[in-house]
Amino acid sequence: MTTPIAPVAEPTTTPLIPPSQHRWAEVIHRLEAGGSMLPDTPENLMQIIGIYKAYAVPMDFYWRDLLYIAEQVFLDPLPAFKYFPSQEYLDLPNSYAGDQSQLRIWRGGEKAHPELLEFMAKGETTQMPKLLHHLWHDRINMEFAEACMQAMLWHQNMGGRFNDYLASDAYRNNADRAIKAYFKRNPVMLGLYKLFPEMFLEKVKQLSYTANLGLFWEVMAPVFFEMSDIYDEGGFKGVPDAMDFLVNGIFAVAGRPIYHHAFIDGECFEIIPKSEGFTWLYEAALPYVEAVFYRTSPFRGTKSYNAQAGQVPADQADFHYGILYADVFPVGSAGIPPTLLMQDMLHFLPSYLKELYRKHERGEEDQLIQLGVTFQRSMYNVTSAVIQALRAALLYPLDDTDPEHLLANRRFFEAQMDRFLRPEARLGAIQSQDYR
Amino acid sequence: MAPSFLLLLLLLPLAGTLLLPLLPGADPVRVRSLAALAAAGQLLVGLLCWRQAPADLHLPWVPKLGLELELGLDGLSLPLVLLTALLTLVAILSAPADQSRPRLFFSLMLATNLGVMGAFLARNALLFVLAFELVLIPTTLLVAIWGRERRAGAAIRFLLFGAVSGLSLLAGVLAFGWLNAKGLGFGFDDLAQADLSPSAQRWILALLLLGFGLKLPIVPLHGWQPLTYGQAPTPVVMLLGGAVSKLGAYGLLRFGVGFLPDTWAAWSPWIAAAGALSAVYGALNAIAQSDIRRLMAYSSLGHMGLLVLALAAATPLSLQGAVAQILAHGLIVALLFACVGLIERRTGTTSIPELSGLLNPLRGLPFTLGMLLLALMAAAGIPGLAGFPAELLVFEGSWTVFPRATLVSLIASGFTAVYAVRLFNRVGFGRLDNDRAHWQSTRWSERAPALLLTLLVIGAGLWPTALTGWSEATTRSLALRSQPFLYASAPLTTAALTATPLTTVAVAPELLPS
Amino acid sequence: MATILETAQAAGCFSTLLTAVEVAGLRSALEGPGPFTVFAPVDDAFAALPPGTVQTLVDNPPQLARILKYHVLSGACLRADLTTQPEWTSLEGAPVAIRRSEPFEVKNSTVVQADIVCDNGIVHVINRVILPG
Repeated sequence: MTTPIAPVAEPTTTPLIPPSQHRWAEVIHRLEAGGSMLPDTPENLMQIIGIYKAYAVPMDFYWRDLLYIAEQVFLDPLPAFKYFPSQEYLDLPNSYAGDQSQLRIWRGGEKAHPELLEFMAKGETTQMPKLLHHLWHDRINMEFAEACMQAMLWHQNMGGRFNDYLASDAYRNNADRAIKAYFKRNPVMLGLYKLFPEMFLEKVKQLSYTANLGLFWEVMAPVFFEMSDIYDEGGFKGVPDAMDFLVNGIFAVAGRPIYHHAFIDGECFEIIPKSEGFTWLYEAALPYVEAVFYRTSPFRGTKSYNAQAGQVPADQADFHYGILYADVFPVGSAGIPPTLLMQDMLHFLPSYLKELYRKHERGEEDQLIQLGVTFQRSMYNVTSAVIQALRAALLYPLDDTDPEHLLANRRFFEAQMDRFLRPEARLGAIQSQDYR
Repeated sequence: MAPSFLLLLLLLPLAGTLLLPLLPGADPVRVRSLAALAAAGQLLVGLLCWRQAPADLHLPWVPKLGLELELGLDGLSLPLVLLTALLTLVAILSAPADQSRPRLFFSLMLATNLGVMGAFLARNALLFVLAFELVLIPTTLLVAIWGRERRAGAAIRFLLFGAVSGLSLLAGVLAFGWLNAKGLGFGFDDLAQADLSPSAQRWILALLLLGFGLKLPIVPLHGWQPLTYGQAPTPVVMLLGGAVSKLGAYGLLRFGVGFLPDTWAAWSPWIAAAGALSAVYGALNAIAQSDIRRLMAYSSLGHMGLLVLALAAATPLSLQGAVAQILAHGLIVALLFACVGLIERRTGTTSIPELSGLLNPLRGLPFTLGMLLLALMAAAGIPGLAGFPAELLVFEGSWTVFPRATLVSLIASGFTAVYAVRLFNRVGFGRLDNDRAHWQSTRWSERAPALLLTLLVIGAGLWPTALTGWSEATTRSLALRSQPFLYASAPLTTAALTATPLTTVAVAPELLPS
Repeated sequence: MATILETAQAAGCFSTLLTAVEVAGLRSALEGPGPFTVFAPVDDAFAALPPGTVQTLVDNPPQLARILKYHVLSGACLRADLTTQPEWTSLEGAPVAIRRSEPFEVKNSTVVQADIVCDNGIVHVINRVILPG
């Protein structure tokens, strides 16, 4: 069964610049025509919107718990209950959804999503105390969210000023105050802090990234819910519409402050104050995409890499283990973070996706992989949105008439596509509907 | 029990062979079920014969030639009869649901069974030869018609080696009967008490070694085996490796050790050397193979080497080891090929470089690979599985007689782990090819034959008496050499053996036909 | 002559910019002696941003100030000065690229009117909001 690849929009007039000679020229021309890296087919649209919905529900938990960890659990030396966010955080109104929000462009409510609450109560099994759900691993896999945070922490220099600030004296002083306040009744930890101050500082940096990721996802959850709602109402005409919605979303919240506050005995410690001017786009979204979509790090348990034989790049910027390059097939194997995410999304699949998976490959048996591939498609679309947003912010409109501007756009797109020249990239695979 | 039960063991496959081609419809599943029914019936009769031993059957057939329909079961042939019936059933069930030309295929499978079964039941050497020769025809056809790309070459080579094997066996048996100073007679009883000149004994044993050595096979007579195992369809290999090749082992034990003990004892160092050589040669070649089927063919060759070593030593323990090895290897090789067959059916290849990541939990063949791993572990002699007691008995029984050959075989047996791990690492782990891995998972109906074998392999490992108990008395009586330190010095040393020869003494009478 | 802000006020097409400067608390700074070079996006430039963009920034003054500072260089630079160098460091810290001199382009915006000389600096009117990165 082959679904024809969506044709590149034929220019009606003679193009102002010659066609690209890039290996992904077809994709580049599609991007220049305002399309996505993902071909515009009804099935692709259905797949990506369905998975956004399935992603948004656990994400609604991720961001709440990430903020809970960064702000409340903080440096707890034995954080056994960090995956049990307090009711306060479960009720925390989303800053970008609900009537109280500053920016009311997405319609969702501010509270935790009902499907999430239902799953938290019952899980796959049945109603039981949440500790049992936790131990039985019948729950939202926060380990995945933490793996993403760690990828951001580990890769660090991915644009924005966030990481520079973590190395500044101002941050050090803020963190120092918070650490001392947190352990003021714990002389042992204070003594350890005296002995190993850098270790504690590093831990706080990790928590700052935890807050960063939480604030990032707080926005993405309502965006994805909104997209799902629009699709259910018959709103999107094709994949480019979905992408444009994301581009607009990125701009709309680009200026959202990124900060890290810790609440210790009711007192708020501004470890990274809002006044530093860190923004959602520069300090959270772009580093997130770079760290999680492109780079991350090789997962244990799927393939052995020999670093001495050069199988792992010497330069962190060349890491290519993110979802855009990932081999989804090992999903289901033990110990790999994507399995956790796929498992989370599996619980919230819309019925039309379940139906789709039932009809292909091994049906329900390998849904995790099928939805993993869908997720990969959808993240190519999100990455397309980021690329288009960057193009809009830094370069020229697609309908610009100045050939030099169009060439600048072309160079930008080609530079982005260069990252998919390595054989691991799945850009080629997602062009076909047969990749499942 | 009436001797007619023995006849029933032969009539069931005979009926199947003759009637299946006459079936009106060619629905493969239906034909397969009918063939399986015949094999299952045979297995059932076999089990009945075990619980209650039937008397020997004695019917004159062509008395002028000394050919008589003499059938009987003793501790040596009973386990082989059961093994053959079981493997035939499993092999038939392992055939794909869309088997091409099913009527002929299953008819020939049952014809093979008929031959092997006849040989194991025969109490007359000429009858044995006849049955032995009969096997060659259907197996050659099975390879020639349903084999893979190089089936023609494989079938021709198989036929040539088989024909030489059959002819030399026929010559050996005829000479045996004719040169017998006590008069012409081909009954096993006649042969057992034959009076032959030493040089006649040597000639006859040479012919028998050639005939059975080709069948086993044993280095340097193995030329047909890797090619045939590589090309033949999976059910046929299961039958060939599991049951047909055991004709050679049985023949060596029955004719060589049993009827020509003096010459056998005199030549046994050379035979042991050939066994050790096979073990090393098979194992080293298996390491080098890039195709799973060929790897398993060489692996099988290596295990046949151990078997021959045990036969050469001919101590009570080693002969028990030989029988145990016959049974264990029959189960293991059938299981290995059943798994390979499933892998091939799904992935379309058995080439090791082309396969990887099959252990992938969602898109791979985890269940099949799990059974394959177990089979490989059994072949490598991991305790708790069928291979371990058999190999332990072989080594334990042989080292007093041929310490060097035993040591060499022991090392060769260690190589089993090398190619097993290598194979599993390449095929099971690593990356599953995204472009190819679109096959469906195996269904329970497909897994069932392999699963049955898996359970038997585990069962025989946990309860080794299942491998040795049958023939303990027979093999002891056949033994040419004693192992004083094992049997004379009372329970102390023997009790320590996992193979538990002492406990089998208690169980054996139950297992043996009276 | 007038200050930068007074000039902008008088021009009438910078109301969004002026509001933004007010909200971001940059007014007093821009009224100071400077001198500054300001790339001033016209109202249409702000209006061209996707819905919500400006509102989020206005809701968060420090973030807004950061974006606005990207439009300001320290020192008074005329068009002729600017084109001598491919990049200038903005007050925000990130470099502002001078992509072309004819037509005069700053980053991805086109300068619609250059060299408006004020008391405490120079204003170049641009047709698009420029963003760091």
